[in-house]
Amino acid sequence: MAALGRQVLDGHRLIPLTWSLIARQTTRLGGQKRTTAFLLRKLTMVSSGGGLGESPSVEPQKYVQEPEHRTGLTQCLLEKQRTAVEREKVVSSLLDMGFSDVHVNELLSIQPGTHPQQLLDIISELILLGLNPEPVCVALKKSPQLLKLPVMHMKKRSSYLRKLGLGEGKLKRVLYSCPEIFTMRQRDIESIVGVLKEKCLFTVKQVTEILHRCPCVLREDPGELEYKFQYAYFRMGIKHVDVVKTDFLQYSMTKTKERHVFLERLGRYQTPDKKGQTLVPNPLLRDILRVSEAEFLAKTACSSAEEFGVFKELLAREEEESEGRMADAGSPEEAGP
Amino acid sequence: MAALVGRGVRDMLKRADFMTVPRRQRHKKKWAATEPKFPATRLALQNFDMTYSVQFGDLWPSIRVSLLSEQKYGALVNNFAAWDRVSAELEQLSARDFVNEAIFHGEPEPKNGQTAAPPPASWACSPNLRCFTFARGDVSRFPPARLGSLGVMDYYLMDAASLLPVLALGLQPGDTVLDLCAAPGGKTLALLQTGCCRNLAANDLSTSRAGRLQKVLHSYVPQDVRDRNRVRVTSWDGRKWGELEGDIYDRVLVDVPCTTDRHSLHEEENNIFKRSRKKERQMLPMLQMQLLAAGLLATKPGGHVVYSTCSLSHLQNEYVVQGTIELLANQYDIKVHVEDLTHFRKLFMDTFSFFPSCQVGELVIPNLMANFGPMYFCKMCRMT
Repeated sequence: MAALGRQVLDGHRLIPLTWSLIARQTTRLGGQKRTTAFLLRKLTMVSSGGGLGESPSVEPQKYVQEPEHRTGLTQCLLEKQRTAVEREKVVSSLLDMGFSDVHVNELLSIQPGTHPQQLLDIISELILLGLNPEPVCVALKKSPQLLKLPVMHMKKRSSYLRKLGLGEGKLKRVLYSCPEIFTMRQRDIESIVGVLKEKCLFTVKQVTEILHRCPCVLREDPGELEYKFQYAYFRMGIKHVDVVKTDFLQYSMTKTKERHVFLERLGRYQTPDKKGQTLVPNPLLRDILRVSEAEFLAKTACSSAEEFGVFKELLAREEEESEGRMADAGSPEEAGP
Repeated sequence: MAALVGRGVRDMLKRADFMTVPRRQRHKKKWAATEPKFPATRLALQNFDMTYSVQFGDLWPSIRVSLLSEQKYGALVNNFAAWDRVSAELEQLSARDFVNEAIFHGEPEPKNGQTAAPPPASWACSPNLRCFTFARGDVSRFPPARLGSLGVMDYYLMDAASLLPVLALGLQPGDTVLDLCAAPGGKTLALLQTGCCRNLAANDLSTSRAGRLQKVLHSYVPQDVRDRNRVRVTSWDGRKWGELEGDIYDRVLVDVPCTTDRHSLHEEENNIFKRSRKKERQMLPMLQMQLLAAGLLATKPGGHVVYSTCSLSHLQNEYVVQGTIELLANQYDIKVHVEDLTHFRKLFMDTFSFFPSCQVGELVIPNLMANFGPMYFCKMCRMT
């Protein structure tokens, strides 16, 4: 094994990047035998598409055979040594994946109670999904609960996310703003995807795009998400393509309604007719939703902050009262004068 | 209800030279299974977008959003109930009597340096009117009026701008007063609140609406006050008043039927923008002129008339006033002088939003900070 390793090292013919890492690795730790074997196994695993996280490498078993012949103290020392060995393995793997020393230290200190192998397994899944080392660190620091996930769950979820088109670097943004994408229940993600595909009739590509750009939709109630889409499509006359392009679904319904109804009542926004036409051109969606309130008032609505403030209060009251009326919709209307 | 309308029609037909009774809505919302496809409220909005965007220019969007949003009310305190207690209660709600504030704080400096005396302009406003509103930008609502002591209601909720024509009319004690188109009765009630009416004639063409007027008076004004003020409610044709009671009245209020702009944007029932009422709507300015002429003819020389509408339309407002004055000059040789209400307007500028460019009269325009109106009013004096 060691001979092979040396041969390979001498060869300088294989994948430059990986071998340079190994070279750095060996100079640091000095434990060539263990490291090389482990890494070789790892490389084989990756190239064949399998995951990591299987039983630890061969070496520690040698130590297992011996403890019953030792005293309690030595036993303890050996345990410590074993953990240290495992830890070193993990560290070397992490460095190999492209994490810097700083990263490695950060990762190991996020949740000190975590088994190093567990840490490695979780991180490996994220790397395999196309995330770079830096984003992985950031995400895990922000959401340490991810490290507690069972590895099988992690694998299943990763595979599902790939199916949704969220591998290959698209995952970074989603993970930052919605780390629950790993912790939440499969059926909750499915219900959101279901609403987007079956109720709103987005294409598969559009669904991926939406999840990538507005990951917060995963947190929404499916019924409310559907309502939000219907508001865009029927009430504002926005087509599917534009709903995706303008990230419409990320804005809260309250904010959208406030700004849209204000413009509508001012006479500055009109729902397009059947042919998609309006009497005057509607303002661009980005000038309605994406801009700050001050800019919205100055540029799009051409109105004052105090008027908008009053309007928001009146609208909130209208919404409250109409919800109340719908609740007792069964009762007959009073006859008027 | 149908019976009442029937009777009204029969009464109308008894009199010879009327135009045909306007066709009322055949489609009864309460009974119809489906909504009309293009509602009258939408037709109204289209009509306003066409005319008012031109008439008001850059001001139109802010007026439009206000018309389409919930309006603001004023609470007219009933002087025939425990008005001081009611006033205190309304102040507790953080509402303020805008009439009081206007009259006693509107003048920048009193003429002879006495701060206690009411400013000179106060004689121009009808006295004893107390009306509470919430501050600019405050969208609180008043609780519904309650029956107070003496068996009458404590306050009357109305668009505060509706009080301005009554204030502008400038009643004085002992005046003989005519309210030519009185229903549903808010302004009539205000006229009685002044305590100035020696006689009050309140008229409305529609018997059902005159009935509503009666109910309002009964709920707010005790019997003895109604008797003392000699309140008379009729439902005759207002256009006839010149012949019926010419040259009699000190003060006449002509609050004419109009397109009721705000109401027409929200209420589908009996909406004047329905296609079936198009002719009637187009004839409105003529009807309004006839009513104003009758009101002026019923005024004694030296008396005053206030013409008012709740429409923004130039055609129903200034056009009618100017046209009627000309008509009276040419056909009757009667000289009518329009009074300048600039000073009056300044008194109320803090509470209401006024349109700056009326040729004659004043126009309260709705604004989200003060969502009153629309209310147009013009004061005239019959000189001869």
